Amino acid sequence: MKKLFRLSVGERGVRRDVSSEIGFHIEMRTRELVDAGVPPDEARSQAVATFGDVGAVEAACRDERRKHVRERAWREELDSVVHDIRFAVRTLGRSPGFTATVLLTLALGIGANSAIFSMVNGVLLRRLPYANADRIVIVQHPVASLGIEDAGFSPPEVSDFAQARSIDAIAEYHSMSFDLLGHGDPRRVQTGVVSADFFQVLGVKPLLGRAFTVGEDQDGAAPVLILSYRFWVNELGADSSIVGKTFTMNDRQHVVVGVLPPLPSYPDQNDVFMPISSCPFRARPFMKTTRTARMVSMVARARPGTPAATVGRDMAAIESRSHAAYPDAYKGLSDAAITATPLRSAMTESARPAFLLLLAVAGLVLLIACANVTHLTLARHLRRQRELAIRAALGAGRGRLLRQLITESLLLSLGGAALGLLVARTGIGAMSSLAARFTARASDIVLDWHVVLFTLGVAVVTGLVFGIIPAFVDSTDLVSRLRDGSATSSGAKLRLRSALVVGEVALAFVVLVSAGLTLRNLAKLINTNPGYDPQNVVTAHVDLNWTKYKNSPAVRQFASELMAGLEASNGVRSVAIASAFPASSSSPQNRNPFEVRGQLVADTLRRPKAEVTYISPDYFRTIGAELRGGRSFTESDRDTAAAVAIISESAAKRYFAAGDAVGRQITFDNGKRWLTVIGVVGDVRQFGPTADVAEQLYLPFAIFTVRDVRLLARTNVTPAVATNLIRQTVRAIDPEQPVVDIQTLEQARRNSMASPRLTTVLLGLFAVVALAIAAAGLGGVMAYSVGQRTQEFGIRMALGAERSSILRLVLGQGIRLAIVGLLIGGLASRALAHAIEKQLYGIRGTDPLTYAGVAILFVSVAALACLVPARRATAVDPVSAFKAS
Amino acid sequence: MAGSDLFVGTLDVLILKAVSWGPTHGYAIGRWIRQTTNDGLQVQEGALYPALHRLERKGLLEESWGVSETGREAKYYKLTPAGRRQLRAEAARWRQYADSVTLALDAAEK
Repeated sequence: MKKLFRLSVGERGVRRDVSSEIGFHIEMRTRELVDAGVPPDEARSQAVATFGDVGAVEAACRDERRKHVRERAWREELDSVVHDIRFAVRTLGRSPGFTATVLLTLALGIGANSAIFSMVNGVLLRRLPYANADRIVIVQHPVASLGIEDAGFSPPEVSDFAQARSIDAIAEYHSMSFDLLGHGDPRRVQTGVVSADFFQVLGVKPLLGRAFTVGEDQDGAAPVLILSYRFWVNELGADSSIVGKTFTMNDRQHVVVGVLPPLPSYPDQNDVFMPISSCPFRARPFMKTTRTARMVSMVARARPGTPAATVGRDMAAIESRSHAAYPDAYKGLSDAAITATPLRSAMTESARPAFLLLLAVAGLVLLIACANVTHLTLARHLRRQRELAIRAALGAGRGRLLRQLITESLLLSLGGAALGLLVARTGIGAMSSLAARFTARASDIVLDWHVVLFTLGVAVVTGLVFGIIPAFVDSTDLVSRLRDGSATSSGAKLRLRSALVVGEVALAFVVLVSAGLTLRNLAKLINTNPGYDPQNVVTAHVDLNWTKYKNSPAVRQFASELMAGLEASNGVRSVAIASAFPASSSSPQNRNPFEVRGQLVADTLRRPKAEVTYISPDYFRTIGAELRGGRSFTESDRDTAAAVAIISESAAKRYFAAGDAVGRQITFDNGKRWLTVIGVVGDVRQFGPTADVAEQLYLPFAIFTVRDVRLLARTNVTPAVATNLIRQTVRAIDPEQPVVDIQTLEQARRNSMASPRLTTVLLGLFAVVALAIAAAGLGGVMAYSVGQRTQEFGIRMALGAERSSILRLVLGQGIRLAIVGLLIGGLASRALAHAIEKQLYGIRGTDPLTYAGVAILFVSVAALACLVPARRATAVDPVSAFKAS
Repeated sequence: MAGSDLFVGTLDVLILKAVSWGPTHGYAIGRWIRQTTNDGLQVQEGALYPALHRLERKGLLEESWGVSETGREAKYYKLTPAGRRQLRAEAARWRQYADSVTLALDAAEK
């Protein structure tokens, strides 16, 4: 019996096998019956009859057979993949140097992208936790002539806008801080004050309890409170029985009716929410009728499918009708506009350009890593030529070899991606805390499955790229290699590798230039003369409770006790109270038009404008600003009838003739009250170093008293000690008064630079990685080239060439490659300059110093990278070089 | 299927047993089952073949083509190592089952 294996796979084979098997059975049965004496013609039909339904049996067999063939094919496929992977792991394990280098390179390249993508994903891509997010528009009221982004709306105006046909709901909002009593220490809480339907409009369902209900925002409604998730967890220990408990606020009992789910801190970081009827300011009777009482913001829900722009146009039309109907209410607002911004853009606009720039640069770093890994792989294939040739000779087809090579590269890229995710994970905490300073969604920067999926995708593409390119290059000369088994077409390969290196250098140059530009930019911001001395000054936010400090004398009493108490403390050099301080905000908060006596301007829009700050006498001494002329405020400048003002240098220059400001008079209220300018003070960067110098006016706190003040203390002691002093002094005067936001003037200045800082730190890291990879690539190519030319160097030396000339030869070749890359990179950087310019404040995207610095750095690093192979070239022994050939 | 009920899995275990001495073709397997059981099970001959193919797909049997005693090309089956293990397990299970049922049926009246 001769055995032969045949699992027929084709349909025809299956049919033939089955019918042959069953035919054999019938035949054997017939024969047996004949042997038993049955007549032959009867025997066959009897055999068929005992067999059963031949057709049905054959069909059943064929079904089994087909299933069998399919399953087997799958198993074989799986087996060969497993085999490929095992083989790849073994081969990679045999060259640990190569494997480690590639894994490290990819971990950095892919990790950079995963990290940046987690920011982009968290801030720009993730779904907002509002059911109606896509239909929510933020409506604002910018007044260009006043430099105000949003003048706000009055309740009568909100009622007008509610009529807009493009929307189906509108809610009002403002935020104030109040003291919250009950359940532990008194707390100062930021409170969102909203119309009852606010959460329904956004599409937010409370985690516990309920949202506000219709009527809860009407006068006389029982006071209720909804807690933010953060406040509930951090301050109340996530007390699950909190709904129904009461807090005292503004001398009234408020019942907690709900707790919100985690939400972005937008538009403000509110601790609690209350209906408008509970806000002592919003609930004043005149608010209902006074069109100029603009203190609230608007959130509208567009009808399904209606773009925000349509809502904007609709509302602008309503606004212009109001201008015509109530001219008195719009004095000075003739150039007010209405903008409607989709919620998502409003929340992410400020972060978008920086994030996209970072993503683009991270992409470049990955490209560099890819190029480098590609040519490492090429070099490795060269070393494996004989192995590959033998496997080809043993019958491995080109496709099979290609698959093996791609399995190896995919294994490497997936390993690199896994390490890259670790890299990203370590960076995420730092990134989100920096990002928190300029986007409300920073807490959404996490490593979720979107990021993992993105990383996986990047890894697969990367693995295919550096697996296929070298394999393709190799397969073209597989045949010739088979023939003579020697390194062939190495010239072509050197050219390809040189091209890869030039590309790497060019890309790295672009990365380094962008990092260099942001670094120079940050340095420039840091070195910008702020006009004050931010060292050794501690600031605190003291927002006095209005129910306790009902009038200005009470506030002034508190302020002078506080300042006196601090001044008496050891280590305190000077103390001031002010309504704002440098870098306490990034945009104008209190910009007002005024008139100069003798130069009256009827049109409010054309009047001079300045940011107005209320200060106590020692303010300039405390922040370290310099008086340029006249005098500063004194304790005696408290006479309302003879009010005084100090003007900033730039405002003095702009609105008065040189040296003419002191002694002149100005008015904010059409001459009802005149203030005499008594001094000129040097400009300070009031809105941080990234903003232009603002024209400013300072008025005495003793006359213009506000409840929400900042305390500033210049001390000889550490910030921690100063912080304690401030807390103790406030507690001694009023134990119920919270002190928040304690920070040094320097911290405030740094915080105002958070965005350029984040960009600089990340781009700096990318630059280091890019430079290291490109340098390694260059060194690698030079080493390869030196290896190829060993014989040539031997001959040269035998003919009397100096070692130094060989060194120069190799170095020159390497540096030439680098310079070609630099030139290409320089052109590319120039072309991309405008993209990065948006991130720069003080310098241009084509800043020559940056380009030159990066070029010099690059050439030096390139020379260093080539030094090792160059020295090896000079160490070639002529005799052994000949022998080796 | 006429005659006494064929317990589920019985045909499979008989087939495995039939091929346990070496490569056997389908006809011989059927004949062996008929003879050794004295036709007691009355397997319809055709039912054998789908079962053979199923066992082959499960990896319990392995096929080979050879020339039969009559000189015709025939498909032979033989046990794979997995098939042999299966036969051992099934045989033990079957015996235990049969013993239990026998014990119960032979039990004396209470």
